[in-house]
Amino acid sequence: MNEATALNYTIKEPSELSPRITWLRDYYFRGNERAWNNQFTAWTTGTPWDNLFNEITFYIVPETFLLLSPLSGSFLQSARKVPLHPEFWTWSLPERRAWFVKEVIVNQVPREILPGDLIAGARFNVQTSLCLNEREAKEWDRLVRGKGGARRQTKWFHDHGYGNAGATSGHLIPGHERLLTLGWKGIYADLMEKYGALDPQEKRGAQGSQLKAMITASTMARDLAGKYGARCREMAAAEDDAGRKKELERMAANLQGVPWEPPADFWEAVQTLWINHMLVMTDENYPGAGVSFGRLDQYLLPYYERSMKDGMDREFAKEILKCFWVHCNTAYDAMITNGHQGITAGFGQLLTLSGLGEAGRDMTNELTYVILEVIDEMSPILEPKPNVRLHRNSPEELLDRCVSMIETSQGAPFLLNFDERSMAGMIYQAEKTGLQHFINSENVHDYAPVGCLENTMAGNDRSGTVDNNINLLKAVELALTGGRDMLPFVDPLTGKTEKVRQDGPATGDPCRFTSFDEFWRAYEKQTAFIIQKCVDLYEVSESIRASYFPTPYLSCMVKGCAEKAMDVTQGGAEINFATMEAVTFATTVDSLLAVKYLVFDRKACTMADLIQALRDNWQGHEVIQTMAKNKAPKYGRDDDEADHMAKRVMDLWCTETWKHKTISTGRRFRPGMLSWNYWAGDGFIMAASPDGRPRGQFLSNAICPSNGADTKGPTANTNSVGMVLGGKAKDGGGHWKEYLNCLPNGASHTITFNPSILRDPEHRDKFKAFLRGYAANGGTALQINMLDPAMLRDAQRHPKDYRHLLVRITGYNAYFVTVGRELQNEVIERISHGKF
Amino acid sequence: MAIMETKQSLSGRILEIQRMSTEDGPGIRTTVFFKGCPLACGWCHNPESISPLPQVQWVGVDCIGCGTCVAVCPKEALSMDGKGVHIDRERCSGCGTCAEECPSGSMELLGTAWDVDSLARELVKDRVFFEQSGGGVTLSGGEATLQAAFCHAVLERLTNEGIQTALDTCGQLSRRNFESLLPLLDILLFDVKEMDPKRHLHFTGRSNETILNNLAFAGAWAREHKHLQQFWVRTPLILGATATAFNIRSIGAFIAKHLAGNVDRWELCAFNNLCGDKYTRLGLRWDYAHTPLLSPEQMETYASIAKDSGVDPAIVFWSGTTLAGEGKRTATSANPDSDRQEASHGRGIAC
Repeated sequence: MNEATALNYTIKEPSELSPRITWLRDYYFRGNERAWNNQFTAWTTGTPWDNLFNEITFYIVPETFLLLSPLSGSFLQSARKVPLHPEFWTWSLPERRAWFVKEVIVNQVPREILPGDLIAGARFNVQTSLCLNEREAKEWDRLVRGKGGARRQTKWFHDHGYGNAGATSGHLIPGHERLLTLGWKGIYADLMEKYGALDPQEKRGAQGSQLKAMITASTMARDLAGKYGARCREMAAAEDDAGRKKELERMAANLQGVPWEPPADFWEAVQTLWINHMLVMTDENYPGAGVSFGRLDQYLLPYYERSMKDGMDREFAKEILKCFWVHCNTAYDAMITNGHQGITAGFGQLLTLSGLGEAGRDMTNELTYVILEVIDEMSPILEPKPNVRLHRNSPEELLDRCVSMIETSQGAPFLLNFDERSMAGMIYQAEKTGLQHFINSENVHDYAPVGCLENTMAGNDRSGTVDNNINLLKAVELALTGGRDMLPFVDPLTGKTEKVRQDGPATGDPCRFTSFDEFWRAYEKQTAFIIQKCVDLYEVSESIRASYFPTPYLSCMVKGCAEKAMDVTQGGAEINFATMEAVTFATTVDSLLAVKYLVFDRKACTMADLIQALRDNWQGHEVIQTMAKNKAPKYGRDDDEADHMAKRVMDLWCTETWKHKTISTGRRFRPGMLSWNYWAGDGFIMAASPDGRPRGQFLSNAICPSNGADTKGPTANTNSVGMVLGGKAKDGGGHWKEYLNCLPNGASHTITFNPSILRDPEHRDKFKAFLRGYAANGGTALQINMLDPAMLRDAQRHPKDYRHLLVRITGYNAYFVTVGRELQNEVIERISHGKF
Repeated sequence: MAIMETKQSLSGRILEIQRMSTEDGPGIRTTVFFKGCPLACGWCHNPESISPLPQVQWVGVDCIGCGTCVAVCPKEALSMDGKGVHIDRERCSGCGTCAEECPSGSMELLGTAWDVDSLARELVKDRVFFEQSGGGVTLSGGEATLQAAFCHAVLERLTNEGIQTALDTCGQLSRRNFESLLPLLDILLFDVKEMDPKRHLHFTGRSNETILNNLAFAGAWAREHKHLQQFWVRTPLILGATATAFNIRSIGAFIAKHLAGNVDRWELCAFNNLCGDKYTRLGLRWDYAHTPLLSPEQMETYASIAKDSGVDPAIVFWSGTTLAGEGKRTATSANPDSDRQEASHGRGIAC
């Protein structure tokens, strides 16, 4: 192809930015060349046994397993010693932690304001001491790093292809709306009252400790704002430019009141939101993943309206928001000097726009459009990550706006959530677990997604939305082997081969099975086994976190914690699920379909042939492999037979998931489907699968059909997804109206379109109609890529011309040229809905 | 009752069913491509749709060279060498055994039999999307009306289901069949290629007498039957054939005279040369293989000729794949699905 074609494609560029925002945005994108950054700073109590790094929070990121020890060591090495309060070691752990984190962020971490910035609160990424005493540190070390400890168990689970599990930070919507209404002083007063109401024995016990820790934490934002206010005043005094001087003075005035007092106007409200949000990341020592905002355009609206009435310029409101946008992106600086870590994929400080309100009312408002403009003008940029909630009656104007943004940005600059299906799942989980007093038809519209598309309630819900990731396909493998790994695990570091053991239940030699039903029964038993195994693994890290990693500041922002005097990590939240995310769904379904087709229906090979083919990674068995790939039925084509199998798989693993609860914290497990990047990485770990996939090829992603299997196009794909979630109740009596949804957490679904579908108004209308059709028939969430395969191939050849090309992977955006070549090829392949 | 039963047992020969088609009428549509056409236009970009008989073709992308097809062919019509599988068209009866046995799907049977029930079940699946978009089902081809009884039965079922129906026809069908189908249609897409009967015969193998009679009849019918919501006339523009100012003016004059006020859209469809490999797969030579694409400027010129031909200028549209200024395809007015259609061996309009 002609070299010059590189210039033929227009990649989204930012627009309409003021010099201030242009500078801030450009400065941000200078990455590790910047003089200022928000890299982790490390802080120690100075004890010889100290540890700063809560590695458990990274157990769901298998890429980090080898880095856990070096990270822990290097944080400790670079840590600065914080002079301790004389009584520090007499306090309970939550009190120690609350005091230490506050001391670090208020008195130790430098406070800077970038040129022109309208929002204060810059550095927040810290690694602070776990504040353990010697005895606790020893116990922590044994539980985490000891023989049979959490780290080894987690690694074993991952190495053997089951998936991963770990008690992870973030991934919730703190109660921002309540904080805006009450101010921290309101929270403080409430905590004091609750503490005062304890009897003396309770005061001395765990409840008293927790409340005292939360009381300390509840003054952290006030004290930090005070420091930033002082900084603004100093800068204002030294400022020559009159306009900027005024801004700094106003910022100082803002910080004098908020976030202790409730904000009075829009600027103060955004300032409040930022400080309250960034301190969650400080408190958890965790740079933002899934720390979500909820319905931003709803709870900021009163402040926006008030300020507009008082004469605020609409563009200035956007200017404030754009500063906020830049701040969110600095979360990625956490490890910026070790190899450009982070700025390749979305962390998921998710905000929600539009959606249903009371009595089926659409809640789109002026601020919704203001924020969409901000997103459009700032794009491409990764954070914060927007999710627009659509429903059957979303206004035409909103759809027009969304479609025009999708048109100009290659990866849609937002995710789409679909209310009816999502709310059906929320109601379902409430009914199933007796939580109707917290989630019911009166308030379910106030749900919002976390991280990417994981549906929760706001301000009282921590449902561990990414904590358990199970490869359903492992159960197919174990059914084929009678409970043993198909291939022995070879340690890539030592080259040692592990002996294959009887890990799962002995479900018999499948070569003796005379019907698919027999195979299915073996698969059922193995599914129950892998889910139990995941639950057991999760318990290990969940119980350690509950004992050793309190987050008293975050607990102040989650309803239920003060009432129960219990940390959010111990199950303090009113709504407290642990979510099991199924990975490899379509690969599993297609594998079962292939076993049925090849061995039992078509009798193209024997079970023994098939198993041998899988052991040989299909080498020398190409005829069976190609039949499995091209002739066996596949999920995602709106084909009743295949989708029926998909529903069977869905019902089985959901039923198994609901059976479990964490022991240490009493959290009920609930199902969802998000597979982050596991479907890519685990494809190299898991043995070849009966659907024709060799080891090394990617697995299927979340609820999507297998890569390239959706040969019937987007509508068929949509129908299949909606159907496996439950479809609609024939009698109208669904979970929400006629809608059913067995996955309360939601399910990630990506469809890629050729951009020409939006080439003229007539076709844009067709696309809008597709979105409305999706609301009626599809899943809980949709991500759209508008990508021309030719453009992507060109981007592979000329990466420099496409540095800012964003594509959606699975609930997150990534810069196309920075993802691996295999993933790039996968994205290209995904586009055509072609054949395998 | 007897008639109903006969209809249920009817079988149609279908080339392909394309879901979420955005090019065969208003809204989101499911388009059924029937096999067999009474015309044989030299430029046809669905050459596999012309013969009413089933045909096999070899698509090499997924072929693993296992030789199964050669071994199972009852007519010994297949052979394989380093370049792939060769089909002896003289011997091949189109029985489809090779396609059935081929493990990779590289041997394809073009034209599979569908009964009315199964087809109707497939066609209602996107009902929600039809409703949201003002779309429905389009019967296309080939020429759907060549299988008029089956067509009728399918349209009747769709109408009873409340699904919007469209027929994309070349117009070469008996008046009786046309009259039986028209009441079952919400939308009529009627292709008019060439006004000169001799040139029409030369290009398509048939004179245009029946076609023009039917077109005029459709105009009169549309005037009297308001349930026909949309009536589109479509003209493929092929350099060296139909793309002449005289032809466009003549078609325009015919529309103005016979169909005035009843045609909602007259669409000029730019020639699409992306189907060369289809001819190769069928072992056919294609006279139009080297015919260039038209440029957007040329299409604009033709459109302005059409607008001056006596028709209401507001009904004139153009569509299709065009050249960019420097000889590249543009993204803006290009056939949207060209990449996808190539990948799935899709069909273009039935012109």
